[in-house]
Amino acid sequence: MTNAAESEKTIDEYLATLRRQLRDLMDEDVRDIVEEIHAHILDKTSGDRSPEKIASALNALGSPQKLALRYHTDELLQRAQLSRSPALLFRSILRWASLSLGGMIVFMLSGVGYCIGGVIFVMGLLKAFFPRQAGLNIQYDPPHSWSAGFGAGSGPHTGHDPIGLWLIPVCLVLGGGILFLTFRFGIWTLRFFSRPRRVAAAVAVED
Amino acid sequence: MNDPRNPPTPDPAEKWEVQLRKGSLELAILAALWEGPLYGLEILRNLESGSDLVVVEGTVYPLLTRLRTLGLLESEWVESDSGHPRKYYRLTNAGRRRALAMTRIWNRFSASMSSLLAPLSPNAVPQETLEEKP
Repeated sequence: MTNAAESEKTIDEYLATLRRQLRDLMDEDVRDIVEEIHAHILDKTSGDRSPEKIASALNALGSPQKLALRYHTDELLQRAQLSRSPALLFRSILRWASLSLGGMIVFMLSGVGYCIGGVIFVMGLLKAFFPRQAGLNIQYDPPHSWSAGFGAGSGPHTGHDPIGLWLIPVCLVLGGGILFLTFRFGIWTLRFFSRPRRVAAAVAVED
Repeated sequence: MNDPRNPPTPDPAEKWEVQLRKGSLELAILAALWEGPLYGLEILRNLESGSDLVVVEGTVYPLLTRLRTLGLLESEWVESDSGHPRKYYRLTNAGRRRALAMTRIWNRFSASMSSLLAPLSPNAVPQETLEEKP
């Protein structure tokens, strides 16, 4: 293989890996990023495209994985801060959790918030459709024993339900409120901790 | 000679300097584009020649993309004599305002730090303080 062909192959492999690593971004953005990095490599090696010079240019850029991660983290955090999508926010916090302890703590708190809010909200829905099977279930048999439960079963519950159908609005409002507050908490922490780029800096600082 | 298996631990002052340089990179890029549009490698060379910032190339391009997403820069692909197009960046009005605001903050901060650090300047500190005692 000639030097020129070898250099071309090295550049193509670098750009192909970068493209693969950026696949979660929009196609147009990926094309733009890859073309810009390609132009940079060509500019950096103009006049001397020897394999050594190409290797040096690629080395200065860092590995394609690390370069993609910088784009990805920046882009994801930025979109999450501007977006109202819980799924995007969740992905952003998950990525943040993989970068730092702070991200991990936010991820865990968000997970607990979504679980509690989700269960309460679903209970409200279940009570609406299965009023006899779902709800509060208090068994009181003095002086021997008493028990209290909150949930849904396959058959009608046998205990006393002091709230009855009021459980529906209470659960929907309370569960929805917890879900909304958890979502706002995620947005707020992302905005606060990424100013100025504290989250993305976790990637950049490694250099 | 350094043992590659045990790389030397960076001096805390050097680590602090790296963080300081990284923190200044956004303003440095806006300043480099103040005079007119430049493409990526020109920005890098401008930063290296106009300051002693040691810039990691892989951090500049994602930062340029972020500044563009924030509306501080706009970009345009331009055909060049080199045989491939280049992506030129220029400051938007918002970018110019941000650069001026950041410069004001930088100058104020720098002036206050300078007066605070005056007693630590090499001329003011006795030589024997700088020499390590056994």
